[in-house]
Amino acid sequence: MTLDTTLLAETPEGIAIVLRPAGAVARSLAYAIDFVARFVAWSIAAAFLGGFKGVGVGIMLVVLFALEWLYPIVFELLPGAATPGKRALGLQVMMDTGLPVTPSAAVTRNLLRVADFMPVAYAFGLLAMLLRQDFKRLGDIVAGTLVVHADKVRLAGALPQAEPLAPRVPLTRPQQVAILHLAGRARRLTADRVDELATLAEDALPPADFAPGGANPAPIRPGPRLLAVAQWLMGRR
Amino acid sequence: MTPRQFETRYEPSWVELERGLAALDGGRRARRTPAGPGSPPGAARVAQLYRQCCEHLALARERAYPPHLVDRLEALTARAHQRIYRRRDFGLGALRDLALYDAPAAVRALGWHLGVVALVFLLPIVLMGAATWVDPHFVLTVVDAQQVRQFDGMYGPEAGEHLGRTSGDDWQMFGFYIMHNVGISFQCFAAGLMLGIGSLVMVGYNGLLFGAIAGFLVTRGDSERFFSFVVTHSAFELTAIVLSGAAGLKLGHAVLAPGRLTRTQALMGAARETSPVVACFFAMLVIAAALEAFWSSAGWVAPGVKYAVGGTCWALVLAYLGLQGRGHVQGDGAR
Repeated sequence: MTLDTTLLAETPEGIAIVLRPAGAVARSLAYAIDFVARFVAWSIAAAFLGGFKGVGVGIMLVVLFALEWLYPIVFELLPGAATPGKRALGLQVMMDTGLPVTPSAAVTRNLLRVADFMPVAYAFGLLAMLLRQDFKRLGDIVAGTLVVHADKVRLAGALPQAEPLAPRVPLTRPQQVAILHLAGRARRLTADRVDELATLAEDALPPADFAPGGANPAPIRPGPRLLAVAQWLMGRR
Repeated sequence: MTPRQFETRYEPSWVELERGLAALDGGRRARRTPAGPGSPPGAARVAQLYRQCCEHLALARERAYPPHLVDRLEALTARAHQRIYRRRDFGLGALRDLALYDAPAAVRALGWHLGVVALVFLLPIVLMGAATWVDPHFVLTVVDAQQVRQFDGMYGPEAGEHLGRTSGDDWQMFGFYIMHNVGISFQCFAAGLMLGIGSLVMVGYNGLLFGAIAGFLVTRGDSERFFSFVVTHSAFELTAIVLSGAAGLKLGHAVLAPGRLTRTQALMGAARETSPVVACFFAMLVIAAALEAFWSSAGWVAPGVKYAVGGTCWALVLAYLGLQGRGHVQGDGAR
């Protein structure tokens, strides 16, 4: 069992798309924001319509109904596929195949909030989310939908520039991968930490006093040497 | 091939795909400008580039290219995948199909679930109605004395111009009926997830309530006022309650007896099959709310007229659910 909460959705082309399901905390916060937004909308409507007697009260009740049942459905079918609360937390609703949510799925997952709410305060929904690896509540299970973090986490960026150096020995695939990943993350780490980590690969790196043409060079620290090897692995020779 | 060669060779096609997607995302105006019929030019090219990009991603992953390269291809393919496989089959045409074919067909496909729920609804009505007719005190077993007095005021001799309510005008009641009745039906449906028991309990309870009040009002001699009030909108409202309960029961049955599927798969299938029913009973409840607020309550319409209109509505509703769209063959309908 992996600690990762990512899910893989396979496309017809045989490509696995990585989805990051959103957990109970993020979704509860999104719900709280939506609750406040709906309350504010309802208060504004009530302030406007309260003045008119019968018609006003009638429309107020229809507004209340719409805020309760139609608000999430409509927002989830709009581009962005998220209620304002979900949007604020960077969440998005999609089918668990990685495709945009369909109207019938949006309706199903939102009507079944009633079942998630039982017996009190979304207890069943929370329980389902906590028990499952993909954090689906009952409505999501039935509708086949998924609430995901829309933004991807990027740990590694482009490699920092460096003059390429050949490794001391031929590298295996896993060794190459490790060096490229560390080089990609070098910008997010301090130079000392990169040195520290690069020391682990000392056997593969060119020797510290290695210099292409110069005589009597100052020793190069392991970090820059690792970045240089990464450039070499990228194909610069 | 080194990562650098890979990137320099294929980057133009990734950039082109990015531009194509941006144009497609640009909205309707951007898509409408090329006046060519059918699909706008570029769509076919985008699909081709997408497949190419999938290939590149597979290669990049397999060859363990650096993460920023793989990330970029992943983001690009995910975005293109969303765009290319987006379902575009909803809109007015789909709504028409839903009303004309899918909804009644899905209702008929409920089969015995419909029968069971109808029985669970009608039996309490008949039994409770008979019980209160014999002994009016029976009504107090399901509602308290104050509510009984309220009903008496709504349908009694002093009910006045507006039947079926204590106060408020037509619009106010319309809003109330929408919120209250539709909410109840949605709950009847969702409660089905609790192995179907929830739906049965809610439908049965509503049957008891209705039977008790009807029986009580008949013994009070208010039968004409009461029945002329309910006859029209009940065609939609009672049917909708039974439909919501039956759809819920179908969900519960899928959990309880999934057959040769996993429980989750069975549940998802049942939800797909019942979603036209949900749309159907929602529409019926909106119609019922409008009728109940503006027509049923009108005290000036003669009871005879209301019975005639109500009877017609019942016949139309039953004919729609029973006959509409029979013989219509569809490729991938909700059957």
